[in-house]
Formats: sequence, C-alpha cells, structure tokens
Amino acid sequence: MEQETVQPKKSGKNSILWGILILVVVGIVSSRYFHAVLPHVQLPPENLTEHPLISLPVLGDVYFTNTMVAMVLLDIILLLIAFSVQKYIQSGSLVPKGISGAIEAILEYLYGMTEATTGAKWAKEVFPFFAIPMLTLLVANWMELIPGVDSIGLLHASAEHGYPVKQLIPGIATIIEGEAAHGHGFGVIPFVRTLTTDLNFTVALALFSVVMVQLIGVRAQGGHYFTKFFNFPALKKNAGMGSIYFVVGLLELVSEFSKILSFSFRLFGNIFAGTIMLFVIGTLVPVLAQTIFLGLEVFVGLIQAFVFGMLTMLFMAQTLHAHE
Amino acid sequence: MTGDIVAAAKLIGASLAMLPTFGAGLGIGILGSGAVQGIARNPDASGMVQTNMILAIAFAEAIAIYSLVVALLILFVF
Repeated sequence: MEQETVQPKKSGKNSILWGILILVVVGIVSSRYFHAVLPHVQLPPENLTEHPLISLPVLGDVYFTNTMVAMVLLDIILLLIAFSVQKYIQSGSLVPKGISGAIEAILEYLYGMTEATTGAKWAKEVFPFFAIPMLTLLVANWMELIPGVDSIGLLHASAEHGYPVKQLIPGIATIIEGEAAHGHGFGVIPFVRTLTTDLNFTVALALFSVVMVQLIGVRAQGGHYFTKFFNFPALKKNAGMGSIYFVVGLLELVSEFSKILSFSFRLFGNIFAGTIMLFVIGTLVPVLAQTIFLGLEVFVGLIQAFVFGMLTMLFMAQTLHAHE
Repeated sequence: MTGDIVAAAKLIGASLAMLPTFGAGLGIGILGSGAVQGIARNPDASGMVQTNMILAIAFAEAIAIYSLVVALLILFVF
C-alpha cells in the first residue's frame, strides 16, 4: 500500500525533470537558430483593434488594448480560485489541501498582520482593502513570468525600428535580427501584456485605495476626520500656533494626492522595468541567464503586491484615531 | 562622427535622470545594515524587523524607480 502511493509521485517527479531537460535543450538549440530580438519599447499599451471601441466626450477614443486581455485573464484566474475555495468550504472537510489550503494560509497571515496593526475591532473592516489589491496584483504581476506573454502577438508594419520577418509555417512568422529596409520592417503587438505595465490600471487601483482610506477615516472619526486637513479648531483656539497647525493640515492634503502618485508609479515602474529587463537579458545571454532574473521577478512581483496592500492597510490604521 | 544631436541629448538626459539611484542604493544599504544589526542583537524580533525592512526598502527603491520612469519617458516618449 505504502509503495503504491509513493510510486506514481516519483515517476511524476521524473517526468517533470525530463520535461525541464528537454525544454533546456530546445532553448539552447532554438537560440542558435533564432536570435532573440530586442522589442520596441512602448510606454502606453498597444491597441489590438484598428478602430476605437467607443468615443468618450472628454477622454477621447477608447481602444481595445492588450492589457485589457490581461485584465480579463486576471478576472478569470481569480474567479477560478474563488470557486475552488468555495467548493472546498461547501464540501465541509476541515483539512485544507491544494490551492484552498494555500489561500487559507495566506489570508490567515494577512489577517493576523492586520489585527496586530489596527486592533481586533477594525481588522474586519480594513482587511479586504489589504487582501484585494494584494491578491489582484500578485496574479497580475506574476503573469509576466508566463512564456508568450509580451512576446506572442500580431505582426504589424512599423515605419521605424522595424525588423525583417521570416515565415516558420504558414500563418506563423517570427521577427528576426537585422535591419529591415526602410518601410518594410515589422514589429510585434503582443496579445497579452502584463497588466501592471499599464499606467491606467495602477492609477485606478491607487485611486481606489486612497479613496477607501478616506472613507475608513470618516467611518472611524466622523466629521472630525476632516480637521486633519482643515484644522479650524486649532486656528480658533490659538491664532499663533494654530495658523502653523492649519498650514500643516494643508500639507497633509497635498500628501494625500502624492500618495496616489507614489502608489501608482512605484508599481508601474517596478513591473515595467522588470519586463524590459527580462527582454534585454534575453537578447544579451539567450540561455539560462534569464532564468535567474525570472526568479528575481517572482520576488519583485510578490514584494510590490505586498507593499501595495500593506501600505493601504497602514494608511487606514493611521486614520482610525485622531491625534491631538 | 555623424548623428543626431537631439538623440545624443536624449541619451545624456536619460543617464543624468538615473543619478538618484545613488541615493536609493545608499538608503537600501543603510536600511540593510540597520536591520542586520537589529536582528543580531535581538534574534527573536527578526520577523518584525524583516517586514519593516522590506517595507522601508520598497520606499527607498521607489525613489530609484521614479528616476527610472523619468529616464524611460525621456527615451521613449519625448
């Protein structure tokens, strides 16, 4: 009995090792024939459609971009995780296993941290705004590690910085190294681009976090919360020192806006730089070197997701109590 | 010696924009040394120290990342 349960595991491990070995050999051979090409770096996400989806009066045209595809994928992944956890809860088994066990461990750790910072009373209110950005960003950041994201897509003619194209099999082609004749070069528009390399997404998430920080502050302190920004009581009490406190309050208001900036640019910059770095390392040393940097990117993605959620939680904990 | 002087200015500007990484590196070094000293004196508190260190490092690193964003903007947008 014992041996029967152990045996399939061992063969599974072996097949994984063989798979990795085969992939390494394929990587070495293919890098001999197809040199990695440095992609054209573009800050805004690429449009997958020629024509805009909708035109808004003030904001302008809205295109279907490749980060939207990533957003849909992210939603599907999170929903699948949620459903699997729900299924496990409904089954009534108390022994956590598989993905639901991992989710339980993560959430328990996060909840413990929230409780230690905010106290037991507010932990339930604050916890979702720690866990939601964290889990969302974890999936979104780690999407850049999947091969094919950022590299498989549509070919399009580009006016400058184009590369020559070589056909592999009918319907599938690749760009190759070299300088194309002017006007005959091609570039790649990837189907999926890492979600956090889109500034629209990070700003939206930062706005969500900072607005919810204000709402939690109002819920905890009521109207008194706004004296943090417009300190009229101190001004009334004492004109001399009160005016200084009033100006300090106005600075607090400015720092609230700079929170949005720092939230969004930290996340965007880290992940965008990471994706570019992976491509550059891939062109410099095609084999094995990228693996080390993939490990680094796993770490960076985790840290940035954690820092985003953690900071939201810390800012919320700061708004719970007025300081006189 | 041929080329576009605007392209050269872009490259110089981008490399100058990356200068703040000096400060960020210094800050991360100081943070790391402080955290290691703290853990050496009180190994029981290593978990707390580590969490706070990573948080502070993320802050220090953010400064470097801002400069990187500015450099990328100079190179690829303007």
